[in-house]
Amino acid sequence: MLKFLINRFGQSIILLLIVTVITFFLINLAPGGPSSTMRMDASPEERQAMVEKLGLDQPVIVRYASWLKGAFSGDLGTSFTSNEPVVQRIAERLPYTIELTFFTIIISIIIGIPVGILSAIKRGSVPDHIINFFSVVGLSVPAFWLGLMLILLFSINLGWLPSSGVGARGTDFDLWGWISHLIMPVLILTTTILPNIVRFTRSSMLEVISQNYIRTIRAKGAKESIVIYIHALRNALIPIITIIGVLIPRLLSGAVITEAIFGWTGIGTLILEAARGRDYPLVMGITIVITIVVILCNLIVDIVYSRVDPRVKNV
Amino acid sequence: MNKKIIVITIIGIIGMLFMNACSYGADNTSTANNDKEEDVQKGGKVSIPIVADPTFNPWHPNAYAESNVVNRVLFSSLTKPGKDLAPSPDLAEEWEVSDDELEWTFFLRDDVLWHDGEKFTADDVAYTFNEIVLNEELGANNSSYFGQLNEVEIVDEYTVKFVLESPVAALPAYLGFNTEILPKHIFEGEDPWDLTSFNKENPIGTGAFKLKNYNSGQSVVLERNEDYYGETALLDEVEYKVLGDANTHVAQILTGELSIFALDDLAAIEKIENADGVDVYARDTTRFFWLILNQEIEKYQNKEVRQAILHAIDRQTIIDTVLKGYATIADSGIAPALQQYYTEDVTRIEYDPDLAKELLKEAGWEDSDGDGILDKDGEPFTIDFEIGIQGDLEAVSQMVQQYLEEIGIKVNLNAMEWNTMIQQVVVERDYEMTLNWWRYPADPDLSAYMHSKNVNGNNIPGYKNEELDKLLDAGAQTSDIEERQDIYIEAQQLMAEELPYLFLWYPQEAQVRIDKLKGVPDLSFGDALHYINEWYLEE
Repeated sequence: MLKFLINRFGQSIILLLIVTVITFFLINLAPGGPSSTMRMDASPEERQAMVEKLGLDQPVIVRYASWLKGAFSGDLGTSFTSNEPVVQRIAERLPYTIELTFFTIIISIIIGIPVGILSAIKRGSVPDHIINFFSVVGLSVPAFWLGLMLILLFSINLGWLPSSGVGARGTDFDLWGWISHLIMPVLILTTTILPNIVRFTRSSMLEVISQNYIRTIRAKGAKESIVIYIHALRNALIPIITIIGVLIPRLLSGAVITEAIFGWTGIGTLILEAARGRDYPLVMGITIVITIVVILCNLIVDIVYSRVDPRVKNV
Repeated sequence: MNKKIIVITIIGIIGMLFMNACSYGADNTSTANNDKEEDVQKGGKVSIPIVADPTFNPWHPNAYAESNVVNRVLFSSLTKPGKDLAPSPDLAEEWEVSDDELEWTFFLRDDVLWHDGEKFTADDVAYTFNEIVLNEELGANNSSYFGQLNEVEIVDEYTVKFVLESPVAALPAYLGFNTEILPKHIFEGEDPWDLTSFNKENPIGTGAFKLKNYNSGQSVVLERNEDYYGETALLDEVEYKVLGDANTHVAQILTGELSIFALDDLAAIEKIENADGVDVYARDTTRFFWLILNQEIEKYQNKEVRQAILHAIDRQTIIDTVLKGYATIADSGIAPALQQYYTEDVTRIEYDPDLAKELLKEAGWEDSDGDGILDKDGEPFTIDFEIGIQGDLEAVSQMVQQYLEEIGIKVNLNAMEWNTMIQQVVVERDYEMTLNWWRYPADPDLSAYMHSKNVNGNNIPGYKNEELDKLLDAGAQTSDIEERQDIYIEAQQLMAEELPYLFLWYPQEAQVRIDKLKGVPDLSFGDALHYINEWYLEE
């Protein structure tokens, strides 16, 4: 196990390095820099002063080297647009995105797995068709459109839910204010991953149910609920765990759109601001954080995998 | 017997509750009446959207539009645009100019306190200009307006003198346009851009409102400054909500979560116009939209070619469709909002595609090979049209493309991301035709955009015309209003004829506002913010 972890750590570092190189050069090669995000009527002198202040008059390689040196000592630099440390800006926003993705995953699992099982054991029935239909709809409807429609319905026409924001935090915190702000963004994000969980659970269950050992258990006279939930589900869970691990990065990218629509001040809105403002250090910082999250998710999936399936040995 | 008592008691209680309810109702109506009689009410909060986190320093190179609307309320400048847009007193009570127009003396108010209780004096003004604006290494926002400023001298505690290299008649107007004064006692000895504790956390201004709290990515809340030197504000709070998505702005004003803003994307205008409780006002602004042809390219140096291209474009149709009527056709750069200087007495380039073709024919452009595209010496007339994607620009450009193709000019439209456009068009001048707009301080001096001395600055077309230069110089050198009126009327006539820019229209701002919000002067949203102390909410 330890050897496995060390191995994975080494791989992760290399992966991180590759990601930073690609991102750094891509954003620096994108036309227009921080000085062109200034007001259109900024004078050439004003632009030049900005370029020099931000050290952008140095070659890209030199800038990357100095950025990397800082990053290894935990210093991700200073945001161009706010002059605050990148680490601080990310730390301010990350909890909001974690909150959003946490509830989305929990809700998707709580709903998705039972619905998937139902769909599998009632294969071909009316409920199965209805579930399939909604899965396809959920997968196909674009999040930004659904988000605007929800705002139109619940905020403008009915006036039940706030159309954006994260609700009051700290001393003014109130439970309903918090939940009411969460409902629509979580709902939107859920539609992006719930259908995947349902469909995966269904196909995985179907495959397991048709196995010989399930027939044997049934033949031994075990109760149907024990057959499904104890014997079949345990084996069907392995691919489901994998897909949840894969869905977390997708959730993070979905969060960019969802956060923008609902004014949710998480990492998604921050990356938009950073890209729009050509805030190179901030873009790099967020990229690193997201890459680490993705790597961690995969690592956790691998570890959980070995717990659920004794055949998978990481040692 | 018992039952009866209970029933009577219940009826009694209900009756009392009912009477109570009635008297409550009566109370309510009477207060409402009282309020109406008073007309102006104190209290309440307005919410204004901004698209990103602001920087609380008007001179900071990162202070964009979202910062301007906050800084205008937190800080004050020497002058502000009056309700007729002519410069009017703010921190400076009055000013005078020397006969040679090289020295402007501003007499400051002596009753102004910074939000931290320190006194505002001439030191603050001198510091802001001498140490920040005139420090070339800093590259302060808008410092180009003060290119002719040598220094600001302190005459006494409440008098400053602006010493100029050459006359700048627009100086009082420039001093009221995103040029707020910063506190010397906080900035002295610090790098003004790196002072995050001020610029991002705890700004100290002199304005009608002061910072209450700020949550990055969420909101900035200001509260009334009870020590404000002018009329104390009526509202309790001004909240700026950070909302990046324009659709959200529309949704939130319809739900009453926002109070006022200037709508950029007019696609949603009808929905807002039809909504209850929200009104839309068309407001004149000092802006003009333009199409320009790179003057480095020989064929566009010909005035007839420029006129022909403008004759080919049906501007009124674009205004009616894309802009939903929120604009008036422009003949020159000086907008009708500048009532003192604007004139309609100019040659108007009407929509006339036949005349356009004729003019091009005179210039040698004719469809000789019958392929539908004009040509000259075997060269087809094609134009590369580079634009940045923002607001209505793309929709407008597509219509322009169609109109030009109708007279036989092939247009290759290349719409790009905004920063890319700034780099290519504004910085590198690598373009043939482009479309955009200028917003300028409330003064008719447009030297920055069309004087030949600024071809490396904001004279983006690279236009050079001695006659226009002379007029612009003359206008800048006299602060006598009547004299300036004559000069700028002549300048408008020349601009309309020569077309340094192909003037398209003066956009009107679609100001969206909840109807409960009163006291907002009939100005564009940005200018009305100077009068936020007069705003109030009517219940």
